Amino acid sequence: MSSDHRLALDNCIKCSICVSHCPVARVTDKFAGPKQNGPDLERFRLEEPAAVHPSIGYCTNCKGCDVVCPSGVAVSAMNCRARGEYVSMHGAPLRDKILARVDRMGKAARLAPSLVNRLAGLRPLRLLAEKMLGISAAMTMPRYAQKTFLELYKPQNVGDTGRKVLYYPGCYVNYNAPEVGLALAEVLAHNNIRVEVEQFDCCGLPLIANGLLDTARDQAKKNLAKLQGYINRGYDIVTTCPSCHLTLRQEYRELFQLNTDPLHEKMLDVFEYLSVLLQQGKLVTRFEELPLQVGYHQPCHLKAAGCGVPSREILQLIPGLRVADLDAGCCGLAGTYGFKKEKYAISQAIGSNVFNAVKELGVRQVISECGMCQLQIHHLTGVAVYHPLQVLAQACGHGKWLAK
Amino acid sequence: MNKYTDVLIIGAGLSGLMAAAKAAEQGKEVMLVAKGMGAVGLSSGCIDLWGYNLEDPNQVCQDPLAEIARLCAVNPQHPYARVRDVLEESLLFFRRVCQENGNPYLDHRGGNWLLPTALGTLRPTYLAPASMAVGDLQQVRGVLVVGFRELKDFYPDVLAANLKKSGVLQADCPLNTLMVCAGGGELTPNTLAYRLENPAVVDRIVDQIKPHLLPGAVLLLPPVLGERWDSQVAKNLAEKLGHPVYEVTNIPPALPGQRLQQMLLHHVKGQGVEVVIGCTVNGARVADKRCTEVLATGAGKPIKISAKTVILATGSFLGGGLESKPGKAWESIFGLPVETGHEKWSARDFLSMAGHLFNQMGIKVNEHLRPVDKTGEVIIENVMVTGANLAGCNHPIEKCGNGVAVASGYKAGKLAGEVGE
Ligand SMILES: Cc1cc2nc3c(=O)[nH]c(=O)nc-3n(C[C@H](O)[C@H](O)[C@H](O)COP(=O)(O)OP(=O)(O)OC[C@H]3O[C@@H](n4cnc5c(N)ncnc54)[C@H](O)[C@@H]3O)c2cc1C
Ligand code: SF4
Ligand code: SF4
Repeated sequence: MSSDHRLALDNCIKCSICVSHCPVARVTDKFAGPKQNGPDLERFRLEEPAAVHPSIGYCTNCKGCDVVCPSGVAVSAMNCRARGEYVSMHGAPLRDKILARVDRMGKAARLAPSLVNRLAGLRPLRLLAEKMLGISAAMTMPRYAQKTFLELYKPQNVGDTGRKVLYYPGCYVNYNAPEVGLALAEVLAHNNIRVEVEQFDCCGLPLIANGLLDTARDQAKKNLAKLQGYINRGYDIVTTCPSCHLTLRQEYRELFQLNTDPLHEKMLDVFEYLSVLLQQGKLVTRFEELPLQVGYHQPCHLKAAGCGVPSREILQLIPGLRVADLDAGCCGLAGTYGFKKEKYAISQAIGSNVFNAVKELGVRQVISECGMCQLQIHHLTGVAVYHPLQVLAQACGHGKWLAK
Repeated sequence: MNKYTDVLIIGAGLSGLMAAAKAAEQGKEVMLVAKGMGAVGLSSGCIDLWGYNLEDPNQVCQDPLAEIARLCAVNPQHPYARVRDVLEESLLFFRRVCQENGNPYLDHRGGNWLLPTALGTLRPTYLAPASMAVGDLQQVRGVLVVGFRELKDFYPDVLAANLKKSGVLQADCPLNTLMVCAGGGELTPNTLAYRLENPAVVDRIVDQIKPHLLPGAVLLLPPVLGERWDSQVAKNLAEKLGHPVYEVTNIPPALPGQRLQQMLLHHVKGQGVEVVIGCTVNGARVADKRCTEVLATGAGKPIKISAKTVILATGSFLGGGLESKPGKAWESIFGLPVETGHEKWSARDFLSMAGHLFNQMGIKVNEHLRPVDKTGEVIIENVMVTGANLAGCNHPIEKCGNGVAVASGYKAGKLAGEVGE
């Protein structure tokens, strides 16, 4: 246990602000809450690792507690470590081991994506999976794309700005939503910037969330070494998934004590990257009018990055576009969490605020950066949900990015 | 990352949120960054202005605004002396924002409310949310205190016994208690409030209360009637019962304070304010008495923010705005001086009536809320200081915490709105 961690533990002033903001503790009494599972029990875990409350599995790792804590206690990291300890002592159910390997599921689905999508829609099969594995039959499954982003992406011929950009797409964009990666390429090409791609490992977040820390650590080391190589060669790294971003930059450091300092300067959310261009006067701000009213949902892991809403400044440049903040908190899906039979109802209860906000604002389209939030919002409300990049690509004027 | 804005507010407590609301209303581009949530979510949710008489601290003050005028004459170092010009205006603004968002705050004919606490004592406060604004208890013809089995930290019998002792009720006023069940389990106030948003649960509560109701009685409940600021739980419960219901104040975390916090955050976001919570300001660059840049980090990543005006609403020791080591205290971002005096920082008795000196420590400002040194010279010209950061008030004793936050936050936002291009 590192000394700064101990210090953080003593920083807790027991104000319970984290408890009152925890989306899970709000809707169920099955979870002992961030304060008790975090700093309270951590004191005992320092001496006795077995002092893990079994309700730790109910934490969604949304990091709301970290964000609101006035004393800077890394509650969610304590919870992640505790869950890791719990799983290493008691083992993880097969279901969790399957769900945690989104990369393997993606690879397997590539053999026959349409078939997988069809099977995932078959009620009897879903009921069987619920009974045998504990995967909720009610939750909408993510659809697999016919071809992965890496297969679809063709580097475009653009003028030379001397900028070197590497894209870390993450599993969801690669296997399920390649259109987001293609929209990124389109937007950067609009600015004469060519995107490089590379085969990465999964960032490891689904593993971390399911307590499988050892495998996650191995992947973290491999990813970090690869990213460092690009940074050494003068590349900026852009991401479009807030969860991958936060995992690479913060979790690798907090959970695995890896040095992520170089990433703080060189790895940017794509909209941060575009804002830098804007500030340097280098952004091509020729946008077509988009007479659209959309709701915006801020993913928890973007909130936890403590940098605001990077897309805000750029989207304001699009004529006609009106973006209304849903301001409804966590959507409740939390990656693999909402797919678990015993968690589905909790996940939907948390998401009801999002449902209400969409209804209240009367919007028919929602934008959000996180693929899992997109899935949940569509599942909850039935409205079309896009990545903000798709809206921006549409405003750049080539192609149809908002057709579903 | 670099960011630019007209007005940067550091701190998401009541004073920071008020400053954001006022500056945004005047058309400024406003950004609000905060390490975490402020104290208002821990507070009762009531706005204390001034609790007791200056001469006789055992007497509840009947006219807080007049008392503050006298206070400013005898104690010109009190923060109220810096914001007196806008005090009434700020309260009107606060009430208008609350009203517009469906969370009305009521005053008690210009005097103090005397609101029951969970312990059955009575506490003075100036503005109360409608769900807590129980009128004069002397007048009521019956009281029923209702608790929930699921909720620790609220015992109707304790409340009733002490309320009886306080002598505020008429001698023949019936005073009863009742425990109801909202579905079982052991719940936090938030989880119980969430459960009560379900009309079927409220119906079950109504069924349990109805047989115990006497005509003309008021119902006192713990502050769990509704999650959000625009919740209808208290209203629906009262309608279904045909009797007024009120929430009493309780120890933190209490829902009315959280509702106010969420409402103000929602309001400022709606006004276009960019809100970034989970972002800590670690330092600033100052040149020629002007802050040119503020240095922050979000999840370890450095962010530089430049603003024409910076409002320092970082709270005192609790929020992290002030730091200390034995014998020394300072402001944590700009290193502004904090006078500590030579006396002991805290009294021996935790609930000492004289209060603790550390509560009075803070930053000295001029009438424009700019930080000044011992001689009154402005230290940084484009920085304003608000709320619990201000030197010279002792809010737990004086009962003025949220009042000072409202008035100073409003004034800073107003002044920031007047800064030219
Ligand atoms: C438990 C409790 C109960 C109370 N009850 C009442 C009551 O019932 N009625 C009443 O009138 N008053 C009450 N008060 C007093 C009152 O709530 C406070 O005085 C007032 O709200 C202070 O507001 P503020 O905006 O100045 O600071 P705070 O609410 O303390 O907010 C400070 C903000 O600054 C942020 N911050 C600090 N340092 C940094 C940094 N370096 N970088 C970025 N952000 C930073 C914090 O995260 C926080 O968001 C109570 C206080 C407490 C503690
Ligand atoms: S972890 Fe932070 S928010 Fe939670 S009780 Fe401790 S200090 Fe308060
Ligand atoms: S990470 Fe989210 S779910 Fe887990 S304890 Fe914190 S607030 Fe609750």
